[in-house]
Amino acid sequence: MRQYLKYIIPILIPLIVLSLPTSFFPLDGLTIIQQRVIAIFLLAALCWVMEPIPIYATSVVIIVLELLLLSDKGFILFRLGEDQSNFGELLKYNEIMATFSSPIIMLFLGGFFLAMAATKYRLDINLARVLLKPFGSEPRFVMLGLMLITGIFSMFMSNTATTAMMLSILTPVIALFGPKDPGKIAFALCIPVAANIGGIGTPIGTPPNAIALKYLVDDNLITFGEWMMFGVPFVVVMMTASWFLINHLFPAKQEKIELKIKGKFLKTPKAITVYITFIMTIGLWLMGSRHGMNSYTVALIPVAIFSLTGIINKEDLKKISWDVLWLVSGGIALGLALDKTGLARLMVHSIPFDAFSPYVVLLGAAMLCLIMANFMSHTATANLLMPIMAALGTSMTSLTPLGGEITLILVVTFAASLGMSLPISTPPNALAHATGHVQTNQMAKIGIILGVLGVSLSFVMVWILNITGFIGQP
Amino acid sequence: MEKINIICVDDQREVLSAVLQDLSPLAAFFNIEDCESAIEALEVMDDLDAEGEYIALVISDHVMPEKTGVEFLTEISQERRYHQTKKILLTGQATHQDTIAAINRARVESYFEKPWKSEELLSMATTLVTEYIFDSGIEYEPFQAILDQTVVLQRLR
Repeated sequence: MRQYLKYIIPILIPLIVLSLPTSFFPLDGLTIIQQRVIAIFLLAALCWVMEPIPIYATSVVIIVLELLLLSDKGFILFRLGEDQSNFGELLKYNEIMATFSSPIIMLFLGGFFLAMAATKYRLDINLARVLLKPFGSEPRFVMLGLMLITGIFSMFMSNTATTAMMLSILTPVIALFGPKDPGKIAFALCIPVAANIGGIGTPIGTPPNAIALKYLVDDNLITFGEWMMFGVPFVVVMMTASWFLINHLFPAKQEKIELKIKGKFLKTPKAITVYITFIMTIGLWLMGSRHGMNSYTVALIPVAIFSLTGIINKEDLKKISWDVLWLVSGGIALGLALDKTGLARLMVHSIPFDAFSPYVVLLGAAMLCLIMANFMSHTATANLLMPIMAALGTSMTSLTPLGGEITLILVVTFAASLGMSLPISTPPNALAHATGHVQTNQMAKIGIILGVLGVSLSFVMVWILNITGFIGQP
Repeated sequence: MEKINIICVDDQREVLSAVLQDLSPLAAFFNIEDCESAIEALEVMDDLDAEGEYIALVISDHVMPEKTGVEFLTEISQERRYHQTKKILLTGQATHQDTIAAINRARVESYFEKPWKSEELLSMATTLVTEYIFDSGIEYEPFQAILDQTVVLQRLR
């Protein structure tokens, strides 16, 4: 029975919600459409937490259910009460479908193209080879070098791909350590930690950041360069802290280690095109909107260049992580439904958040996100929490002196990336755990300390951003 | 069109010529390099790879001075850059132990005993190169005329 629960609960609870009369809910003026959104939201949350189906499949289910139940081109029986006063407004079907190609998705597609081309033309491994050289052969400093490189790469590549690459370089080296050497744990652990933290550095570093950008528009707009202006210092401080922590807890006994990476930088015209495009795209991103293009428009430039030069061919196209793109699309669709039906506002207004101290709300939101992110996918966590946080942030007047909506969204986004205390928290952790050098309790020790430290640091960061006038009141 | 290479290694010149002769139908589409030692082959491969070219297939003898064929192929199979490269061991004097090592450590795709049948070697080489092209995501159309059609159909499904 127990193994079927994860299938039964995500179906049963939304069905119960759907079958209740709208007056049953403690929300004044709830429409039928809004009630359906609640059911879809619960289905999404339960499916992402219990994972009866792959998380990207949940996203697709959300989008299709929205089309069937909420759209103006949905199934005819679901539109029967359209003229009733408490039915609510149907969503436009093309707006729901457009979530598959939202600018956020395009930003990620651009990032995927850059990362694929860099891997194909070995820019990543050759950069790693060159950048590691100055760190010598003393384990402590080699580890610092590895963490820095992992951090930098994961700002532009997926955290999982970066971890996989770095662990494959490391595995033959770790094998030479003595059987009881804590250095084994340190080295296997430093890579996923650096990858998770590094992802915070740019909007394309990890999907939660991109989801946050979706809600940072108009007055709250944050450009690619602005994100990096606070993201990168945050990464640097966290990285230093984790380096000290890992070295302190698991000091390596081995005195010298040598990493052997063979190969040369490719100098073919195609490879050079990759280098130039890479630098140019990042340059354009960093320049903000001075050239008139936003980061979404810029993201499509490498897509065009790599396609027309054949650097990314149709075989490579098949290798794009569509699951990640769809996972994010589902989150955007969920946010769209919560926002456009007015449910998010209705829910936030029904709970007297203004009565709470804004500090309690901020801390509660960040902690909730951190805990969720430790047990489920970071992206799914952001998908669920971000639309609610956005509505909460705009309606809570007591938050305004602390920077308002942006403050809330940023601390929650950062918390989503800091959930890394278990092998199941993120794919990078799972990869490191699978090497067999790291026990779950060792990972948990580092992950919990860094998670709490990171959330506290994010509070310091938004406080600095607020007093310097970067966010909040001009 | 991507540049795809086939590397043939044997310390005896006559044997090497015979292999090149057998593979000559492939020469219209692929560059075939002949090397007289494993060391030379590794250098050639390193240069070709640095030029952004592909190493699809290595055909090596076993008994050679300096580095044996099995040692050479083992090294290739463990090298990240030649991850997809296909390997054929072509030998008359490998011991039972060598053969085990060739399969378990060098992970050879194919094993030929000297003397070999020309058409069999050619057909095996064609099949392996075709598989390499699909494994490494190279566009197969420019090479379609020469490829192993059975593999093409299987992979396109």
